[in-house]
Amino acid sequence: MAFDVKNIQKQLTDVPLVSPYPHDLAVAIICDTFRLAGVRPPSRADWEDLERRAKTPALWREQVVMLAYVLTSSTLGADTAAMLRKNTDSATVMKGFFVQVEPLTAEMIRSNAFRQEEFLRKWVHAVDGQVKDESPRETAARLKQLDYREALQEMQRAEAARRKEADKRAKDLADAAQRAADARGWRE
Amino acid sequence: MTSGLPSDARVAPRANIRRDTDTQRPHVPWAESIARGLSRFAALSDETEARVELESRLSALRAALLASPYYTRRLRDAGLHPGDLRTLADLRHFPTLERGTLARHWDEVPTPLSREDESVVVRSSGSTGEPVKVVRDRLDCLHMWAVLRFWLERARAVLPPRPRVVLLDALPGGLEYSVRLPILHDGALHRISVLRDDARERLCRVRPAVLFSDPEGLRWLSEQRDLPTPALLLTSAQHLPQDTRDALARTVPAPLLNYYATTETGPLAWECLGGPGRFHVLAPDVWLEPGLDEVVVTRLRPSVLPLLRYLPGDAGTVDRDACACGFHGWTLERFGGRGTCHFTTPTGRTVDAWALAWVFKHHALRAFRLTQVERSRFELELAGAEGSEVAPLCERLIATLRNLGWSEPPRLDVRHVSAEDLATGAKPLPFRSRVSAPEGQRPWPQ
Repeated sequence: MAFDVKNIQKQLTDVPLVSPYPHDLAVAIICDTFRLAGVRPPSRADWEDLERRAKTPALWREQVVMLAYVLTSSTLGADTAAMLRKNTDSATVMKGFFVQVEPLTAEMIRSNAFRQEEFLRKWVHAVDGQVKDESPRETAARLKQLDYREALQEMQRAEAARRKEADKRAKDLADAAQRAADARGWRE
Repeated sequence: MTSGLPSDARVAPRANIRRDTDTQRPHVPWAESIARGLSRFAALSDETEARVELESRLSALRAALLASPYYTRRLRDAGLHPGDLRTLADLRHFPTLERGTLARHWDEVPTPLSREDESVVVRSSGSTGEPVKVVRDRLDCLHMWAVLRFWLERARAVLPPRPRVVLLDALPGGLEYSVRLPILHDGALHRISVLRDDARERLCRVRPAVLFSDPEGLRWLSEQRDLPTPALLLTSAQHLPQDTRDALARTVPAPLLNYYATTETGPLAWECLGGPGRFHVLAPDVWLEPGLDEVVVTRLRPSVLPLLRYLPGDAGTVDRDACACGFHGWTLERFGGRGTCHFTTPTGRTVDAWALAWVFKHHALRAFRLTQVERSRFELELAGAEGSEVAPLCERLIATLRNLGWSEPPRLDVRHVSAEDLATGAKPLPFRSRVSAPEGQRPWPQ
């Protein structure tokens, strides 16, 4: 069975906005998804470990809430329960997933089509699923295109290169001004 | 430059004329390729194929967005990155760029400049909002000449060797110049002011193959006799009364091409020679998003100034079209930008109110409103104007109205108001008329 990401996004667009779930409810929803698949959900200690590993715990909590939201507001939850393998290690799945979605905020996932698609695809990837009508290669390529962690690094590199160029130009100008000042000195 | 003119017309804005025209020569192959690209695209009947070709140009746009300090920051703030832009359908998820924002960040939107870019900064006229400083690279400056090659082909106009192009100018100031034009078959460009006494003689001497003008210049042209006929006349998307069109057709029987361009974007579309009101989009150089009520422009041609979903402030709807003229592509209809307004002269002729825009060049469009109350009476409302600037402004305004057809100076009442009194929502509407245009003089588009 494969995940129909486009259809899931459409379902999410169609459902009315709801208040964010409380954190404990969100954790329970995620755990239930694993239970429905007959997989042991992450333990309380696992959740504490996940929060400890998060670079920004507040952002991590947003992601937990958003994962619960997309699992319950679309067929993603049922699809996940249907395709999870019995021997899946839920703690490892969650660990890998939260590393992958690290910079995504709740607002991005809710209102930005690209970041929502990225969030969903990274969940599909974390549970070792397939995307409908795509070869594994196409799925990997799309995931790479959408990777916001990589994009942020690229934008930081571009920013640094621009700053370096601006500094170099400023230095060139200062050197030229200095040379002009020096030249004036010995001509006079 | 303007000392030979009457004092009321001696108000030309300063202009820097580029004389190093030989530097155009290396770009002739580029101009040919732009014209070829436009021709080929206009003949492409398959929409899917056309979209694929347009989307192949997005990779260059992505690189430009990444290099633009403004866009890098703007996209990051929105949780986006240039790599998200893979298809034309993706564009709707990206933020728009408004004129005001471009005006504020004019030096951050362009990609970093290099010496080879030979970039310049030009200032838009402010006809759809506050004037905007626009950074242009060399090819941006020459793009209109490349597009002209394509338009000449569409109009089946044949140029003589070393063609002469005339910019026929009706603006007060009487600015004139002549320069070489290697980019167009080793031609020459002459700017001629209709305010000069010898304008007709000079025009006859030049014998232009191509003539650009605005509606006022074309009206002047239609009133002349025994003029040489150019291969093509061009005017730029302002209201051109039907009687002027008819008179012009009798006096100068050349095809008239009406185009839509802005300083920020360059040429965007041209009005079908066989169907008024239908502007064919200049894809693949630009993309105008279909299905919306306003013009949203993304530049697909490489430029130092990447434009992603730019809003020039004009209304109109774009749809895919196979036109009877043979054009295949996207067409802009119901085009009604620039808060269309027409004033009626004492003789009953309608003129485009925006011909007065230059008079207010140093006033934000939200800081004034000119209303025609009667044929020979106007009301000027000003917000926050200094007392010392009102008299010269009124003098310039009266002088310009005289040039436009008010042989007797009209009455002009000035009122000082607050900026809130002039608020009209998102788009400034600085000109309005309470005078009904006579039948047969109704402007288009409605």
